[in-house]
Amino acid sequence: MAISTATKAATDALAANRAPVSVNAQEVHRWLQSFTWDFEKNRTKYPTKYKMANDTKEQFKLIAKEYARMESVKDERQFGSLQDVLARVDAAKRVHPKWNETMKVVSNFLEVGEYNAIAATGMLWDSATAPEQKNGYLAQTLDEIRHTNQCGYVNYYFSKNGQDPAGHNDARRTRTIGPLWKGMKRVFSDGFISGDAVECSINLQLVGEACFTNPLIVAVTEWAAANGDEITPTVFLSIETDELRHMANGYQTVVSIANDEAASKYLNTDLNNAFWTQQKYFTPVLGMAFEYGSHFKVEPWVKTWNRWVYEDWGGIWIGRLGKYGVQSPASLRDAKKDAYWAHHDLFLIAYALWPTGFFRLTLPTAEEAEWFEFNYPGWHEHYGKIYEEWRARGCEDPNSGFIPLMWFIENNHPIYIDRVSQVPFCPSLCKGASTLRVHELNGKKHSFSDDWGERMWLTEPERYECQNIFEQYEGRELSDVIAELHGVRSDGKTLIAQPHTDKDGKLWTLDDIKKLNCVFADPLKSL
Amino acid sequence: MSIQVETGKRGLTDPAMAKVIADAVPAQPLDTQNKMNYFVKPRGRRLTEYEILCCYAQPTPDWIPGGLDWGDWTQKFHGGRPSWGNETTELHTTDWHKHRDPALRWHALYVKDKAEEWRYTDRFLKAYSADGQVRSIDPKWRDEVLNDYLGAFCFSEYGLFNSHSSASRDCLGDTLRMSISMIGLDKVDNAQMIQLERTFLAKLVPGFPESTDEPKKEWTQGAIYKSARETVEDIWQATYDWNEILWSGHMVYDALFGQFVRREFFLRLSSYFGDNLTPFFINQMQLYYSQTKGITGDIFFHCLADDAEFGDYNKRLLRAWTDKWLPRTVDSLKDFMGIFSKIPEIKGVTSKDAVEAALERVFDDWKRDCADPVSYKVDTAALVKTVLTGLK
Repeated sequence: MAISTATKAATDALAANRAPVSVNAQEVHRWLQSFTWDFEKNRTKYPTKYKMANDTKEQFKLIAKEYARMESVKDERQFGSLQDVLARVDAAKRVHPKWNETMKVVSNFLEVGEYNAIAATGMLWDSATAPEQKNGYLAQTLDEIRHTNQCGYVNYYFSKNGQDPAGHNDARRTRTIGPLWKGMKRVFSDGFISGDAVECSINLQLVGEACFTNPLIVAVTEWAAANGDEITPTVFLSIETDELRHMANGYQTVVSIANDEAASKYLNTDLNNAFWTQQKYFTPVLGMAFEYGSHFKVEPWVKTWNRWVYEDWGGIWIGRLGKYGVQSPASLRDAKKDAYWAHHDLFLIAYALWPTGFFRLTLPTAEEAEWFEFNYPGWHEHYGKIYEEWRARGCEDPNSGFIPLMWFIENNHPIYIDRVSQVPFCPSLCKGASTLRVHELNGKKHSFSDDWGERMWLTEPERYECQNIFEQYEGRELSDVIAELHGVRSDGKTLIAQPHTDKDGKLWTLDDIKKLNCVFADPLKSL
Repeated sequence: MSIQVETGKRGLTDPAMAKVIADAVPAQPLDTQNKMNYFVKPRGRRLTEYEILCCYAQPTPDWIPGGLDWGDWTQKFHGGRPSWGNETTELHTTDWHKHRDPALRWHALYVKDKAEEWRYTDRFLKAYSADGQVRSIDPKWRDEVLNDYLGAFCFSEYGLFNSHSSASRDCLGDTLRMSISMIGLDKVDNAQMIQLERTFLAKLVPGFPESTDEPKKEWTQGAIYKSARETVEDIWQATYDWNEILWSGHMVYDALFGQFVRREFFLRLSSYFGDNLTPFFINQMQLYYSQTKGITGDIFFHCLADDAEFGDYNKRLLRAWTDKWLPRTVDSLKDFMGIFSKIPEIKGVTSKDAVEAALERVFDDWKRDCADPVSYKVDTAALVKTVLTGLK
C-alpha cells in the first residue's frame, strides 16, 4: 500500500473507531521464532551429541514483560503472607524444633539446586537453536534466580524470626562441612551443568524437576504444615507454580531431539544415568529429612516415593514420552529397593557424624520407633536396637564422651563414600542394596556402592575425581575441622550441630568434641 | 496424641498438635545472631536484603577466588573439564563474589519494576490510540524508518541478548550470574518492544507490515547494519571469554553504536517526524541501558580494574579488548550513517553538524564512562571524523 493511502486509511479508521488499542503478549510472542538469523558462526559453545531442531516451539509463550508481571503477582501474595499474617502470628517460632532443623538443610540444599539451574538453563539457552526454545529456557533462567532468592528467604526468615537461627543464618558457609554436602553437589550442582547440554537438561528437567520436585517441593509442604511450618508451604508452593514450565521445557528438549538419530542411540542411556544420579541422593536424603526430621508424620516415605517417582513419573510422565522412544529407566527397579531402606541406612551414618552438620539431629523417640517398626517391619531389630545402645551410652549428653561414630569404629563398620554419587554408605551395616566394590586408578583407590554408578565411573573416570570428606580431612582432628569451617555458634564455642533438639538438653561445645580425640581416617587406605 | 496425622492437619492451627509443638519449642532463641549471612562483608554500612539473599548462593571452591567451598567438582564435563573454572576468562580478581548490583535488585524487585513498566505500557498504548496520535507521524518515517530500520535494530538487541547465555553459564560468582541474566533479559525485552511497536502500528495503520521479513532482510542483507551485524555475530558466538563478551557488548558496542542508534537517532529525531510513540519505548530501553551501565561499571571498574592484586593487569587487558572491538564499532557507526540519506534533511537536526554533535555526545559519554576508568587513550574527535565519512 502506498504511504499516502496508508495514512489516509489510518485517519479514516480512527475517525470511525477510536477504541483504545493495545498489544498483548501473545501478539508479540508469535513473531519470536523469526528473531534469529542464519550466520556462519552460529553454533553453541556447549556441544551436544544430539541435534536440537530449529523449529521447536515452547508451551508457555511468554515475553519478558509478561513474565515479570506474572511473577510479580505471585511475589506479592507470597511476601505479603510472610511479612504480614505469618509475622503477626509469630509463625516461625511455632514450628516443631525437629522441623526447624530440617528446613536448615532442605531450604539451603534446594537453593543450591535452583542456583545451579540458572547456569544450567543458561547453557540450554545457548545450545538451543529455535528462538522459542531459547525463550523457554530463558524464562527458566529467571525463575531459577527467583527460586534461589526464595529459598534464601526461607533461611533468612527462620534466622530472623525463628527459635534457633544458627545454621539458618550461615548455611551457605557451614553446609560444606558434613557428609551430605558433596552428594548434594553432584545431583543439584554439577549434574545440572557439567556435561552434554541435553544430558544436563535430562538431569535437570526430565528427572530433577519432573520426577523429584514433586516429593521435594510438594510433599515437603505437607510435612511442613503438619509440623507447624506455614513458611515453607507459602514459599515452596509458589516455587512449584514455576516448575510446571520447567517440566515442559524438559519435555520440549526431548521433542526437539526426537527426530535426531542420536536420540535412538543415546537418549535412554542418558536418561537412565540421570535417573540413577538423582535418585541415588534424593531417595535416601528426602526420606531421611521427612521421617527423621519431623515429629508429626504424614505418610511413610516409601509410599510417597512409590506414588510420585514410580507411578507418576516412571509410569505416566515417561509414558507420555514413549512416542519419542523414551523408556522407563532400567535402574528404576533398583531404585525402588532403595526407597525402602536407604534413608534408614543414611540416617545411621548422618547421626554418627552429627558434629559435622549445620543442624541438630534427633534420635527417634519410643513413639517414633513404633511408627518406624509399623511402617517398616524389621526396623527395630536392625536400627532401633542400635539407637537404643547409643542412647544408653549417653550419645546426647556432652558429658558422656561418646559420639556414635566411635561405635562404628569399635564394631568395625567402616563408612565409605561412593565416588560417583558421593553418598556415604556402610556395607557391613546397611539393609539397603549397597555393596562395596573398589577400583584403583593411577595409584588412587575409589569405592562404589552400586552397579550403575560403578559403570558410569568405569566409562568416564575423569568425570568423577572429587575428593570425599575422609580424604579431605584425613589425619585431622574433628574439632579442628569444625572450628576451621565455622561450625560454631555466635559464642564461638558451642556447636551449631547437636545430637538432640531437647530444649532442656545440654549443648555440645568444641571442647567436648576435642576431648574425644576423633581423627579422620580414609577407610580406603586400610584396604 | 499420635504422631501419625491425617492429610491436611496443620500444626499451626490444630490445637492438640500446636500444644505438642509449643511444649517442644525453647522459650528463647538458642542463638543471638539472627542475621543471615552475617559473615558477608557488606558493600555499604549495613548488609542489605539483596546481599543476604544473593551472596554466596554459589558453592564455589576456594581455588576460585572468593569461594567458601573446598575440593573438586563432583561431576565434570566429558573429558574432565571442570564445572566452573578460572580459565573461562582472562581477567583475574581476588574475589569473584565482590560484585553488587548498585540498584540492589534481587529477583522480586527486578520483576516488580518490569511488571510496572508493562502495565504502564498497556495503559499508554490505549491512551495513545484513543487519542489518535498516530495521525501525526510522518508517513515516510513511519513506513520506512520505523518499519525497516527500527525493525532491523531489533536483531541487534536480540543478538546481544543471546550473547548473555554463555556468560550466564560460565561466570564465576552468584551476584554476577544474577546480574548478567537480568541485563540479558532486558536486551530481549528491547527486541520485543520494537516488535511490539510494529505490531501496534500495524493495528492502527492499515497496510503497515507487522511481519519481521523486511527488517530481517535489512539486517542480514542491507548496508546500513552490515558491520553492526557482523560485530554482534562475533560477540554472540565467536567470543568465549565471558568477560570479553560483556565488555565488548556493553562497554564498547552498545555504549557507542547502541547509544547512537537509540538515543541520538530514534529518540532525538522521532519528535521531528511527529512520532511520540517511539520515544516511549526507547526511553524504557534507555532506562535499562542506565541500569546495565551501573552493573557493568561495578563489575569492570569497582571489582576488576580496582582489584588490589590484579587491577593493573585487568586494565591492560580491558584496553586490549577495547583495541579489538572499537574499530569494529566505529565501522558499525560509519555504516549506520547511511541512514541519513534515507530521511529528509532537517537543518540542525539531521544535517552533518547535528550528526557530528550527536556523535560527539556519544563518544564523550563513552570516553567518560568506559575508556577513562581503564586509562584507555582515545582521540574521540578522530573517531567521530572517521564515522562521518560514512555520511552520504
